Amino acid sequence: MSGKVLEINDLHMVYSGGVHAVRGISFNVNEGESVAIIGSSGSGKSTVLRCINRLIEPTGGEIYLKGEQVNTPHTDINNLRSRIGMVFQSFELFAHLKVLDNVTLGLRQVRKMSKREAEEQALAVLERVDMLDRIDAYPGNLSGGQKQRVAIARALAMKPEVLLFDEPTSALDPELIGSVLKTIRGLADEGMTMVVVTHEISFARDVADRVIYMDQGVVAETGPSSIIDNPETERLKKFLSSINEEN
Amino acid sequence: MHEAESGLPKAAEGQGVARVVAITAVILLVAGSTPGQASGFTSGWEVVESGTSEDLLTAANFGGQVWAFGTGGVILNSIDNGISWENTDSPTTSDIRYSDSDFGSLIISGDSGLVLLKSGVDAEWTDISLPGDSQVNGISLTGGQSAIAVGNNGTIWELEEGEWTEISLSIESDLLGVSFIDENLGIVVGSDGTILFSDDGGENWEYREAPEGASDSNIVSVEFYSSTRIYAITDDGSILISMSNVVTGTDVGYVWTLVEFERHYPPGTNEYILGPENLDVELTSVEVVSTSKLLMTGAGGYLSMSINGGTIVSQQINPLGNETSFNGIVMVTGFTGIAIGDGGSILWTDNAGADDQVGFVVPEYGNFGVFVDETKEMFLSGFIATLKIVAFGIVLGFFLGVTLAMCKTSPTSLRYIVERYEPRNVRIVGIPILGAGIFQIYSAIPGTTDLGLQGIEYIFLPVGAPESFLRILLGIALTFVGLLFLSNDGEFAKIRIKSISLNPWRVRPLNTIATVYTDFFRNTPLIVQFLFIHFGVRLGALIQGPGLDIFSFENLEGNHNFLTDIFARYDYSESNYGTLVGGVLYDSAFISAICALGFNSGAYQCETIRGAIQAIPSAQMEAGRSIGLTYLQTMRRVIMPQAIRICIPPMGNEMVNLVLNSSLAMIIGYAELTRQGKLIVASTFQYAYAWGMVLISYFVVTWTLALFLRWMEEKTRIPGLGMTGGN
Repeated sequence: MSGKVLEINDLHMVYSGGVHAVRGISFNVNEGESVAIIGSSGSGKSTVLRCINRLIEPTGGEIYLKGEQVNTPHTDINNLRSRIGMVFQSFELFAHLKVLDNVTLGLRQVRKMSKREAEEQALAVLERVDMLDRIDAYPGNLSGGQKQRVAIARALAMKPEVLLFDEPTSALDPELIGSVLKTIRGLADEGMTMVVVTHEISFARDVADRVIYMDQGVVAETGPSSIIDNPETERLKKFLSSINEEN
Repeated sequence: MHEAESGLPKAAEGQGVARVVAITAVILLVAGSTPGQASGFTSGWEVVESGTSEDLLTAANFGGQVWAFGTGGVILNSIDNGISWENTDSPTTSDIRYSDSDFGSLIISGDSGLVLLKSGVDAEWTDISLPGDSQVNGISLTGGQSAIAVGNNGTIWELEEGEWTEISLSIESDLLGVSFIDENLGIVVGSDGTILFSDDGGENWEYREAPEGASDSNIVSVEFYSSTRIYAITDDGSILISMSNVVTGTDVGYVWTLVEFERHYPPGTNEYILGPENLDVELTSVEVVSTSKLLMTGAGGYLSMSINGGTIVSQQINPLGNETSFNGIVMVTGFTGIAIGDGGSILWTDNAGADDQVGFVVPEYGNFGVFVDETKEMFLSGFIATLKIVAFGIVLGFFLGVTLAMCKTSPTSLRYIVERYEPRNVRIVGIPILGAGIFQIYSAIPGTTDLGLQGIEYIFLPVGAPESFLRILLGIALTFVGLLFLSNDGEFAKIRIKSISLNPWRVRPLNTIATVYTDFFRNTPLIVQFLFIHFGVRLGALIQGPGLDIFSFENLEGNHNFLTDIFARYDYSESNYGTLVGGVLYDSAFISAICALGFNSGAYQCETIRGAIQAIPSAQMEAGRSIGLTYLQTMRRVIMPQAIRICIPPMGNEMVNLVLNSSLAMIIGYAELTRQGKLIVASTFQYAYAWGMVLISYFVVTWTLALFLRWMEEKTRIPGLGMTGGN
């Protein structure tokens, strides 16, 4: 594990309504590392993730991508975003484009590739997520799991330096979660740097190199994935037990 | 499943096409199966007995009587406006060819230099003949005892106090006609397009240039009708006209133009020859009855009338057949008068010779077949005109609508603009902006106070001083921005006044501009917008002028194509080479109509499209941005393609509204369908038929449009995007 890909220092986010969602969070993500952020809803997990590629403008703190500061007005944010892949909870595929075009759009428009080049690269990524057989389908005709895999392919096609997953499985039926998790696990095994916000505790335990537990906008506990089995703080214990009750 | 989905829309599409074909077929059948109309005409001229068989060559009104003169020195006179005639004693046996009456005198001239003058109805003829070898081609009185006569080889004789003097002009052309309106102003015409003008009673003559196309013609007759109008005719069937021009301050007689014929009606028919180059007859005389009403005679029994200065000429039925040639017309009133011709022929009329229709005077418009047959051309031209403004209006409206909707949804706020800069720099930039704002307001004040408005009257300031008003608006905006920039401390805080809190940094300039635009166009009546844009701003004319400079005939000649034809189409056929015949720039009312329709529709379409944009989940924008697309790229590639699909149904409403609103273009004189309908009603009085046909025509247009949009909807439908109620 070499070099920090992401560095987050004292991140604050106050929404315009006055909600202080993130209150000074700092963590690093190293090359090839997969970090899982867990926590109850409203704890600020997704806000942190969205701050990283500035879909939300953080109100304080610094974010660096490979040493380059993300949150200054002077950064070329479009270029930076193209280096940070993002997968959304509800997929957000472009409904009017076929699967293949969803994946090639960024390559054509941002990377300025030729149609042939873009399609080659897209097909390679779609093969990785096992969606080669549906490249001509519209998103509306795909199942949730398929959609999410296409969304992963769309992010992956840009060859990002880090992939952000915003609760990638929480909008899926339980039987469809498996295929998506398998895909993400495969990416982790290949050494993709990832930050995963998730409710899948078992997934966090199995895949993540490191787990960050957030509560009320701060990091309540952090450590290797083993902390899920042996939580140190009361808050994490309580959180884990409440989840186990649900299951 | 997938195949079934793509199959269904095709079936629906097939149905739509079949419907269109069926409707078209019905329309064609209706148009094709209407019976023709049978009608007949009788001549408006009545043959009266002259009591002579000599050829009558000239006639005049004199002393409340009508006089006719002819070969062998025959002199006829009528005291009842030309109905009965009496042969009077003649002091000559020479042929009398020309006559003129004015200033209480009557003068006639004829062969062998014959000139006779009568200084009152009861006075005897005075012989004031020219030398026997003189050939007089025309004569005109310039006073009770003075006259001008013209002859071959540029000869002009001037009569003063019983003495003739010859004025030598060293012209080789034969002079063929002369006409004076008073003692001073006179005009002489002749062969090879000769036009001479005198303003001193005929002492001195100046050349006037004949219009292009008449410079080789023989101008055979002229009538100096009034201080605003002179008409002349040529023996190759053209009419020349000279008018005074109030705008340029040009007096009559200076500028001559050839009358452009729009229609020439052969005798006894309603079917005309469109835009003939000339009347295809050797014209012999012209009688001007009023400023724009003239009667003409020509070889081969030609008699005709025009009531609009010659552009539409109706040839009249000659009751004596085409063997009898007529040599002159004299009108006692605007409608009563005589035509005189060979073999002692005299025709009398009390309706200016206009043909009387027999059978039914007016086509039987109550018969729907006849009605359709008579009016279908007008309907068709209105229909096409409507389609034209609708097509251009939709394009302009859609373009404006998309642009405005993008502006309205643009997130670019003042904060967004400045937050990447140091607060200190923003404050420095604020100073000149504030200064410029205050200057704009200050400099606009004189323009507003000069108007002398009081109180509530200031609401009309934008009309009275548009420039000052715009300066004040701009000044207020700049002052606001300047003050805001000056207060920038990097915090972008809200301003709180008691319970109200506002954040001026969230003002979005593009949104503000677009909102002002849409609010204005949606809160004023379209018909007033039409009137203001066409007559107030004169936008059509403002665009037409510079537009035609760009799309001028010189620029397009040789490299015109279908694109330039949209703007300006010229006639490249031999007859009217280089005349503008079509295109958007052809008609300023057309341009104004497109603009008014497009501007108005753009405001409404903007709201429709904005609604659709706002219906797209904001996460789609986030998804687009997250792969590195810029805001505009995401709008173009992700948001708009989905938004446009969503707004096709409400856009259908807008398009249909635009078609229906196009009927208001009649108010600015654009000849679209409703205006044509109104004109048809005015001439046929068939209210139900005309307005019913107009209704159906609009229905055909809007329904076709609706079918097209329905087809578009099917065609562009994306599985899984929105609830469609169908597949």
